[in-house]
Amino acid sequence: MSEILQYVHKDGFFHRLHPFSKILFIIVISVMCVFITSIPFLILMVVALLSLAYISHLHREVIQQLKLVLIMSVVFIIITVLTMPNGATLGYLIPQGVPVIGGSIAITDGAIGIGLVLALRFMVLIFAFQLFLISTQPRDLVHAMEKLHMPIDYILMFIIALRFIPTLQIEGQRIHEAQLARGYNPGTGMLGKIRGVAPIVVPLVSNALLRSNVLGLTIDMRGYRTGIRTHVRERKFCTGDYAMMGSLVVTVSVFFVVAIFASGLIF
Amino acid sequence: MIKLKDVSYTYPHTVQEALHRLSLVLEPGRCIMVTGPSGAGKTTLCLAACGILFHEYGGKKAGFVTINGRDVSAYTGLSEIAKNIGIVFDDAEAQMIFTTVEEEILSALEYRGLAPEEIERRLASIMEVTYLSAIKDRSPHNLSGGQKQRVALAATLALGNDILILDEPTSELDEHATRRIVEILSNLKRQGKTILLVEHKYAHFRDMVDTLVVMEHGAISAIGAPGEILDDERIKRIVIPDFTGIRTGAAPALPTSTPAIAVRNLSYSYDEVPALHNVSIGINAGEFVAIVGENGSGKTTLVKQFNRLLTPTAGDVEIRGKNTRDCTIAELARHVGLVFQNPDHMFFADTVKDEIAFGLENLGIKNKDVVIDAALGEVGLLHTKTLYPRWLSRGERQRLAIACVVAMQPAIIVLDEPTTGLDGDEARLVMEILKKLQQNGHTVIVITHNRDIAQYCADRMITMDQGRVSSDTRVPVE
Repeated sequence: MSEILQYVHKDGFFHRLHPFSKILFIIVISVMCVFITSIPFLILMVVALLSLAYISHLHREVIQQLKLVLIMSVVFIIITVLTMPNGATLGYLIPQGVPVIGGSIAITDGAIGIGLVLALRFMVLIFAFQLFLISTQPRDLVHAMEKLHMPIDYILMFIIALRFIPTLQIEGQRIHEAQLARGYNPGTGMLGKIRGVAPIVVPLVSNALLRSNVLGLTIDMRGYRTGIRTHVRERKFCTGDYAMMGSLVVTVSVFFVVAIFASGLIF
Repeated sequence: MIKLKDVSYTYPHTVQEALHRLSLVLEPGRCIMVTGPSGAGKTTLCLAACGILFHEYGGKKAGFVTINGRDVSAYTGLSEIAKNIGIVFDDAEAQMIFTTVEEEILSALEYRGLAPEEIERRLASIMEVTYLSAIKDRSPHNLSGGQKQRVALAATLALGNDILILDEPTSELDEHATRRIVEILSNLKRQGKTILLVEHKYAHFRDMVDTLVVMEHGAISAIGAPGEILDDERIKRIVIPDFTGIRTGAAPALPTSTPAIAVRNLSYSYDEVPALHNVSIGINAGEFVAIVGENGSGKTTLVKQFNRLLTPTAGDVEIRGKNTRDCTIAELARHVGLVFQNPDHMFFADTVKDEIAFGLENLGIKNKDVVIDAALGEVGLLHTKTLYPRWLSRGERQRLAIACVVAMQPAIIVLDEPTTGLDGDEARLVMEILKKLQQNGHTVIVITHNRDIAQYCADRMITMDQGRVSSDTRVPVE
């Protein structure tokens, strides 16, 4: 079973970075993603992220998300084609030869462009967050977030939400099997899907609630919420961190210069 | 030292007392083992003893609990109590918050106000004591049940407290993993730790238990040195499962031309990880078969092939003459009923009756009411018909799971560890039900760690080891 967004124990460039550098990296990438509409630049970002994953020995884990990313990309493009027609018409989703409804739903270059931008932004964000989460031990993350004065309850909530993804996946699979063994066959179509939800979701949620009770008591009994903490094996800033910071500064500067020139704001 | 004096407790929104005027003293360096039927209040006792009931739960409370001479109400909260007591709950998975074994234990150590060097020293020592050094970088979902329990125990040991409370730490573990936990706890006791242990496996812990407590209906029904209280036959049956006399003779030979299950050269791999190698077995209609073996030996993987939850990578499985490759899971559900280890994986309906009706509706079985009553009668749960399934005790839930499958009238009934978490009486009751099902013509297959079940209930014992059948023998009739 694929382990979605789980820490992978390895020793690579990204693993050695200080959590602060990685948090800064995520912020810069996310902000750039929001502002950039240039398809070549977004493609460049995707390539850069994949290269970073490769030198950090994390390309296999990142590539695992490719299926999800491609499916979502197609969905984005279809949605924009359906909802945001603009620019030159390239063709029609329903060929003109079809009687009555033929020639409806125009495929426009503008809609495809917007769809592509959305898909590429999605790719950039998924790859960047994936790199961040699979290379950072939760306790380093807790440590960094504590230093940023975030409340411990919120930090624990965040790491627990991530930690229990595979547990819920496995539990869901077991419940599904238990119901299949009872002849459960929800049928096809929308109605079947709705009918099929309760036998899986009710046990999953009930068991998760019981588990959350134990989890909450464990957190208290281990003293995680006392706020007193001795920091051991603290990560120090290393050469990689300075290289990362330097690259981010250069990237952001280039981005601004290009953005200003290209948009003609000044010249 | 923990003292409970006349402690009574009623959970919110319920009327029945979970604990009734319970008094108990846990003296330093001693080990008390608490056992009893499911729903007797053992877990509630653990929660009371470590102050959780008083600080975190609503409901009606009476009596006094003191921890190291101080009343629990005088403690400011769980964080302060946690400086005196460590507790390990039965759900090990829920006690793992971080993503590697070492990180889990290290994080627990970091909140004790110790110097960094002391933290590193304790970390190394705990890893060694709990045999976790070799798997320190593994993530929770890549650990076996026994390993998870050891991590939960290690993280609790990290707190450095002298009092340990453990709620069924070995309930889902096989022989090997249980022995490991026993060994660790025995060593801890020798080091002077005080241990309150809720367990069903008395035989394993016999050497370390000073006082044995049997609880029933929220109260202590027997307490004393094991040697003394086990003289009472009734108490002994609760503490030590007795399966003798369940098998009454050789299995009745049913007239049939095709075997119930024929497995031929079956191999199976999970994503290229081999789990079964060239397994061939035949099981006749009406047989009672026990499949034994350590965790990970392929027992569950094998039985999942019987109703095609898994499809063979190579080889064939035939159920009553039909190759499973040619059948759907829904079709096979008519012939093979599978009761999984954790009954809570199946319950979703509002009443016991609706829970059983789900399977019947899936298969289109008529006369639902009659069938439901018959199935509930078979497992002794007719009185629970209108109750919410999750309100039943663990033992009752296990029997309900069996009823859900029996009602679907499959010729073959497969059960994965049906006695997990049950006391002696409940375990025997389950095995008697299964024996009755065999006498009614069903083929019964039980996966178990408990060799007594194989010895006293089954006609045949198949032992699995590393994905292979290592022995297949008929159990001699005494």
